Amino acid sequence: MDLTAFFQALTSIFPFLPKIYNPVVIDYPTLINVFSWLVAASISFYFSLNNSRIWTSIGIGFFLLFWSQSFQLNPWHETFTVMIAIHYTIGTIAILIISHGIQEYYLFTRTLEIAGSKKTIYIGTLLILFIAILVISINPKPSLYVLRNYRFMNTVIWFFLSILNIYYIAKIYMEMRDSPIVNGIICLGIVFIFALVWKGSAMYVMLYQWDKAWLDIIEFTEETSDIQMHLAKVQFANSLTKMFNFLTSVSLAGTFGYLFKLLR
Amino acid sequence: MFLLPKGNPLAENVPIAKLNLPDALEKLKNGKLTGCAIFDFPAAYCALVYDEGVLVNAIVHKDGTDVKDQQALQALVDLMILASSGTFSVYRLSKEITLAVMGLVSGQATIDSQEIKLIDFKALLDRIKTEQMTATLKIYTPERAGLIFYHTGSTVGFFHDASKNIETAAGEVQQIAALPGARVDLRVMNSTDGFFLDLSGLVDIRSLWEAASGNLFSTPAQPAVAGTAAVAEEPEGSKPAETNLSAADIDSIIMELAGKHVGKLGRALAEKELMNIGGGSTLKIPEKLNEFLVSLEKGSKLLASANKIKEMKEAITAQIALV
Repeated sequence: MDLTAFFQALTSIFPFLPKIYNPVVIDYPTLINVFSWLVAASISFYFSLNNSRIWTSIGIGFFLLFWSQSFQLNPWHETFTVMIAIHYTIGTIAILIISHGIQEYYLFTRTLEIAGSKKTIYIGTLLILFIAILVISINPKPSLYVLRNYRFMNTVIWFFLSILNIYYIAKIYMEMRDSPIVNGIICLGIVFIFALVWKGSAMYVMLYQWDKAWLDIIEFTEETSDIQMHLAKVQFANSLTKMFNFLTSVSLAGTFGYLFKLLR
Repeated sequence: MFLLPKGNPLAENVPIAKLNLPDALEKLKNGKLTGCAIFDFPAAYCALVYDEGVLVNAIVHKDGTDVKDQQALQALVDLMILASSGTFSVYRLSKEITLAVMGLVSGQATIDSQEIKLIDFKALLDRIKTEQMTATLKIYTPERAGLIFYHTGSTVGFFHDASKNIETAAGEVQQIAALPGARVDLRVMNSTDGFFLDLSGLVDIRSLWEAASGNLFSTPAQPAVAGTAAVAEEPEGSKPAETNLSAADIDSIIMELAGKHVGKLGRALAEKELMNIGGGSTLKIPEKLNEFLVSLEKGSKLLASANKIKEMKEAITAQIALV
């Protein structure tokens, strides 16, 4: 979808926005992706408002995930490298908070205790976001190397916490097998399996420096890449990343829609 | 140091004042608890060990001495009536750990307060293994204590004074063993061929409770033997017409309703919340019923739909109106 005219009109209404020189074309899978994150974020955030505190962590986490992924629609994100770093960091904080919620859910199924307040989660999240943004802002403008590091950190943390979340969701399933909402819990587990493949394949490519960000970096340096020798593996991993990114977002929106129906 | 393991908590730190002992014990029996009920008083400590709802051991530890079984139940009633404060907790344990705990509470003292340095510790562990003991090894100093549980010679868990649950690694208990002056007790479960005497069948707790709570200054009643305990005849009409069900029956019905609408965890949640408000008999008080329903709804929101929760609340309210 060509959105160049839309963004050029926007820059004429808000002159402080940087001018748009290149065409802004957003493909449909990206649009569906971001829309799915938005659906999941909205429903989970709704749960957190009307439900117990444990949903607050999960709800806020998925809302932050939408925020971090929405940069794909932002045509200026490459202009402001600080903004890209913030997006990656928010994505990392998102999975930390989601995992915290899932672990609290598991604790609840074992102890039937719900401790703490929603306010602590809201204030805690805001504080973490503030500190993260502050640290990024007071440091030098991130270079391409630094941005790749932020992305790598995000991918690795997502990968390992997805494993942990799958484990905890399996344990939650064992505890509430006869609950009316157990199918929703299984769906959430499937989402994390998709996320594991998505982030795992991305991590693999980054580990061996076959990712686009690294190839862009070495384009202007003397360094070489052995990517040509492993092209099939790289293409397979990249196609997994794309496919499972899409599957994760769509299945997450579906899961939250289903949970919404089950919890009504 | 007196130490018993904590497993999966079903109720934790419930004030003793809120507790009706016979109802609470009946609930543990009906709930087929395998684990421990622990009463923590300012100057005493009591533990009841259950195996699938059968009260197999009771111990009261007070002023450095232990009272066991029937005498312990009598002492517990007295402590409950006289103590100004205290808490009650219930922990579910695995069958294997429970058997080892039974060894700890009432088993044979194979090794008693031996200094670790003076014994061949490795040979002791080999002996536990080769003789396939179901036992608890207690390692302690005046300040710290740790437990190692064995089932038929195999290690099934570890616990120490700073644990919150049964642990699978020996780390901390090993550190206690390395402390200067550390001592060891080995308590082995007596062979029972799987048959355990139900203490609640030997002692009529309800009669003891009613006798003790009727007059605080009366001489404590002798342990009453179930079946032979005299049932005081109540004047006709003194029993309200609507109390056709016992408190334990009410609890069972409510847990059943919660289980039906919310599942297994709903049942456990109802059990816990009933314990927190002092048992199902208190639900006849509107404020208590409301408190119970609010707490039950809060937890159920993570387990079932709003419609199911509404149905459950209506069913419970209707049931309470009937009894």
